[in-house]
Parts: sequence; structure tokens; C-alpha cells
Amino acid sequence: MNRRDKARMVVQPLLVVGLLSISSGIGYAFHFSEFPETNIVITYLLAVHMIAWLTEGFLWGLLSSVIATFLFNFFFTEPYLTFSVNDPSYIITFFIMTVVALITSTIASHAQKSALDARQKETETKAVYNLTNHLTDASNINDIVGFTVGEISTCFGCRAACLCFDENGNSERFFIQQQTESRQVRREIENPEEIKRRMEQLKTGYEIGSEFYDWPIYGYEKMLGMIRIPIKTAQTMSAAQTRLLRSMIESVALAMDRLRASELHNRSREETVQERYRANLLRAISHDLRTPLSGIMGTSEMIMDMSTQTDPRYDLASAIHKDADWLHSLVENILSLTRLQEGKLILNKQPEAVEEVLAGAIERISKQWPEYEIDVSMPDELLMIPMDAKLIRQVLINLLDNAIKHTLPDGDIHISVEKDENSHFAVFKITDSGSGISQEDLPHLFQMFYTSRTQIADAKHGIGLGLTICDAIIKAHGGTIEAKNRNDRTGAEFTFTLPMEVQMYEQLS
Amino acid sequence: MLKPTILVIEDEEAICNFITAILNSNGYQVIKTGAGKEGLSMAASYSPDVILLDLGLPDIDGVEILKSIREWSKIPVVVVSARGHEREKVEALDLGADDYIVKPFGTSELLARIRTALRHSPQSMGAQALGEEKTTIGDLQLDYEKRSVFLAGKAIHLTPVEYKILALLSKNAGKVLTHDYIMKEIWGLYAGDSHTLRVNMANIRRKIEENPGAPKYILTEMGVGYRMVEEL
Repeated sequence: MNRRDKARMVVQPLLVVGLLSISSGIGYAFHFSEFPETNIVITYLLAVHMIAWLTEGFLWGLLSSVIATFLFNFFFTEPYLTFSVNDPSYIITFFIMTVVALITSTIASHAQKSALDARQKETETKAVYNLTNHLTDASNINDIVGFTVGEISTCFGCRAACLCFDENGNSERFFIQQQTESRQVRREIENPEEIKRRMEQLKTGYEIGSEFYDWPIYGYEKMLGMIRIPIKTAQTMSAAQTRLLRSMIESVALAMDRLRASELHNRSREETVQERYRANLLRAISHDLRTPLSGIMGTSEMIMDMSTQTDPRYDLASAIHKDADWLHSLVENILSLTRLQEGKLILNKQPEAVEEVLAGAIERISKQWPEYEIDVSMPDELLMIPMDAKLIRQVLINLLDNAIKHTLPDGDIHISVEKDENSHFAVFKITDSGSGISQEDLPHLFQMFYTSRTQIADAKHGIGLGLTICDAIIKAHGGTIEAKNRNDRTGAEFTFTLPMEVQMYEQLS
Repeated sequence: MLKPTILVIEDEEAICNFITAILNSNGYQVIKTGAGKEGLSMAASYSPDVILLDLGLPDIDGVEILKSIREWSKIPVVVVSARGHEREKVEALDLGADDYIVKPFGTSELLARIRTALRHSPQSMGAQALGEEKTTIGDLQLDYEKRSVFLAGKAIHLTPVEYKILALLSKNAGKVLTHDYIMKEIWGLYAGDSHTLRVNMANIRRKIEENPGAPKYILTEMGVGYRMVEEL
């Protein structure tokens, strides 16, 4: 019970006694002046009305109505100064007086209560409005916490505090508390995990701690933090105040949610920009590499043409050409990869004749490795498959290149295409007769930048990108890709599939 | 005999030097420039036999140069472009370029393109326009007068459309023909999509190629068109 309540308990009975005494005094004056008794009754009624109006609740009004009737009976009806009455008609007067007094006091109390309610509502609205107003201006979480703590402290006349939870819903290590009217302090939490756990198990609207009552701030998705009200204040809070606190917390939750959302939005936009920047950079570099590489390859080829094969310069030029060629295929792969990793891979899908794509890949490989023979088998009928021809050709080139790197020139490399009538997939199979894939490499084959450790370094350099790209391209087409060792003999077998038909949703879009 | 003159419009010095060296050592006379505007005026004043044009020039878009050259001249133009720019190549070919070559290219590839371009230049076309009656490429023989095709002496049965496609390609042997160009020549203005062409091409290959997966006579230029080889 606070001081205000105590004062009220003293003032209100005094008010009742005082007003009734005054009206009794006025009644005596009227009595001696021999005014009609009606005036005295009216005076008592006025007193009752004023008491009901000035006190809180119905109690004092009702009490004073009854007391007023008895006082009138005691002082002003014959026999005087007794509660008995000679004229029975006074009974009617008493009855009506009591009823009228009761009614007026009830009405007055009611009006007074409505006025009080309205005032309370107004302060509530004002407080919430103030808070919301400040929160709208807040540009970061510290602003929000600062305003909230300040506003709640003023509103409830206490030293309120606020603890935030981070994006993963974990409690932070510090909370902010209002110290004086203009000063806020950071205080450390002893056991954040404990607080989090307690809050998660919360069933009622708040949680009672050793120093504070903690009210959780629930966001759209998870708990954002909590408002801490010192125990002393919290225990004496009226229902209206609790309601006010709830609506304030609700606005805080909204503001925090809004801030979180905009932070998230900004961050993802930044990430996209950075990602695009990186891809662009990579692409620009690759593009610029192509041109000088053309020069190097062309010039070295020319030197080869101008020298005889026994000339040592021929081998030197040939080595330059091989390396430049390798760099060139790396650049091609990086360019494909940047295209694939831009997130939204735009496949330029068109029905393509499989044999044409196959021939394109083989032509390119034969130019690079003329000493190798590639065996091709295809169905007799024309196979048209929706695909991005450039990308699928890249897949074939990478797989063939891979096969060649692991096979000696006289070994056989075979590529076959078949139609799987049941599943409506075209099955591409590339087999070599090299040493096969070691068991430890098998699971990592399609990972980025994975090159086999069992290989002698730089024997035939792998890029570590080729198979990753194949994987990404085939998956983007809705197909599958897998690698295994041949059953019939040593060597690796790569199989990938492509759907024969354009999927329904793609046709629609 | 007068050396054929080749105008090289290319801004990359390394590539320009390398092209010049190859062409010089193979009996061509070369004039070169790195700027598009200069290239245009040189094309007019020197009247070269072939123009080698890089599409990625710093001052003017290569396609624009091609357009202005085609306004007044039929000099064969071979376009040089980076790999992956299929649309650019097709656009250039449709605008009247005679052929294209992709960076990085080898010596033999460059020389082959230049030779083909020279064969199709206005001067030499005079003789060819009269029409050869026969073409022989490897084992493949076409008789235009009788409209018949032989492979290693054996007659091959082709549908009229297949024959028309094969004849068109063989008359332009060595040159790349875009899908659109072939379709317009064969089916006229109302040529639909390239699907029909691909089906016909697959059928032709099954009749003349040993292995359609590794064709010898008709090569596919991915995303661009087809090219018939001049010789095996």
C-alpha cells in the first residue's frame, strides 16, 4: 500500500464526518429560524452528494446516505436527540430521504468513476503515444532500449530496465537500467542461459526474479528481450498499470521487429551486392585473361610452325602452348562457374540435337589432344533434348578432358548416349581405361577445388573446378551425375542424365 | 602474282603482331590498325582483299564498322570474337560478315579462314558464279547438274530438301552458314524454327557420315550454324 492510499484512508472519513457535521450545523440554523424541515433534508442530501463526488468508490456515499437519515432523525424530529419518532409520517420522510440519498450518491460515484477511468485511459494513451513516437525515430536497438527504459521509468515512477536478446534468441550479457532521471547504466547479467531458459518456460505473463519482475517482449518470430520492473513497484501495480505496461511492451516489440527486419534486409542486400561484385570481378579478370592468352597461344604455335620438331625451341614453344591452353580452359571454367553461381542460373534451354553437342565437344578435345582417339556410340534415331548447349558441351569437354588426363594415349576412351524409355532420361556415359578413382577420392569428386592428393603434384595438373561445374550444370538441368570405377576393368566411369522433356512448369512459364 | 592484301582491324597489339607475322610469312600483304575509324578509311582507300575485324574495338562497335563497310562494298569480312559471344557472331554473320574466328585461334585455323574468304571474294566469285558442275570433298561427290550425290562412288538417296541443304553447304564449303540463312535459302521467308533443319541435318549425316557423333563433312558451329569442310 503506498502513501497515496494511506492518505486517502485518512482523508475520506474526515470528509464524511466534516460534511455531515456542517450540514447538521446548517440544519440547526434552519431549525432555530423555523424554516420548514424540507430545507434541512435537502441540505443533508447535498452533503451526501458531495461526499459521493469527492470520495472514491461507492462505500462512503452509501454510508453517508444512511448516516444522514439517522442524523436527521436524531437531531430534528421529535423527540429530539433520540432515534425514536412521534409522528409516524416521518417514517415515510426517512425512507424517501434514504432512497434519494442512495440514488444521488450512486450516480455521483459512478460519474466520478467514469471521469477517473477516462483520465487513466488518457494517461495510458499518452504514455504509449510518447513511447511509440520516440521508437519511430529510433535508428538502432540502443535507441529503442534507451527510450523504452526512460519512458517506462517515468510512467511507473521506478527504475525500470531492459534486457535484449540477440537474433538467435540468446540473452545478451548486459542490460540497461534507469539510474536517475537522466542517467542510464549498463549492468551485467550473471547467468544469461539461466534467464533464457526461465523465459522459455514462462507460462504466466511475467516472471518473478530476486530483484525484478520480468516481462517478456515477444516479437513476430521469437523473444526479443524483456522489460524488468523492480519488485517493489511491480507488486503494487494496479490492473490498469499492468495493462499500460503490456501495451507499451507491445509497441516496443513492434519497433524491435521493424528494426530487425530492416537490418536483415540491409544485410542481405549488401551481401547480394558483394556477391555480384565478386562475380563481376572474377568475370572481368577472366575476360581480360583471354585476350593475352590468345596472343601467347598463337605466338607459341607460330614458333612451333617455324621450327622443326628436332629443334629444342620446338619443345619450349610447345610447352608454352600447353600451359597457355590449360590456363585458357581454366578461364573458360571460371566463366561458367560465375554464371552458375550468380544464384539465378538462367539456362538458355532449347531442344538441341545431342549428336551436334557431342561432336562440338569431341572436336574441341581432338584439337587439344590429337594423339587420343575417342570412341562414340549413339542411338540411330535423332535425339533432341532441351538443354543449354553451351553448358552441356562444357560438361562433356570437362569429362573427356578428365578421362584423357587419366588415360595413356593408346588407352580407349568411350562416350555413349542412350535413351532410357522408362524414365524419359537420356543417359550419357564416359568411360576411360586409366587407373580409376581411388576410394578416398570418390566422395569428394564433385567438391570445389578438390584435386586428388594421390596424384603426383603437377604431373598433369587438375583445376579442381571441372567436376564441380559439371555437377552444378547437370543439376540445374534437372539431371543427375555420378562417378564410379568400371566393373569390367580398371578405369573410371562417369554417368550423367538429362530429362528428355521440358518439365511442365517450365513450359508454362 | 600480286600478293593479296589483308586489312587487320584489331586493338590488341599482341594478337595483331601475331596475325601479321603469320600472314606475312604465308605470302600475304598486311595493313593494320587498332582503331575502328581508321580501319574504315583504310578499307576505302586500300581496297583490301579480306578484312579481319575484331568485334570488341575501343572506339566503335565492330558491328557498326561491318554495317558501314557493307553499305558500299562486298569485301569479305572475317570477324574475330571471344568465345561465348554466339549472339554477336550470328548478328555479324547476318549483317554480311563472311565468316568468324574465335579467340584463341591457331595458325592453321586462321589461314583456312583467310583462304576461304579469298575464294569467296568478289574477284574470284566471277569465275565461280558461272557454276561448277561438280564438287568433290573427300569421298563425297556432288553433281549439281544431275542433282545427285555419291559417297565413295555409291549413289546416295537424299530427299529434295536434304539435297538442297547439302548443295547449299557444298557451294559455300569452308564457310559458316547460319541457321537463319540456310532456312531462308531452303524454305523461303516462312521458315519456322530450326527444329526442321536439325532433323534434316541429322538425316543427312546418317547418310553421308561414318559416325554422326564425330562428323567429317558437315561440322556444327554451336549456336551459330553449319560449316562444310573444303577438304578432308
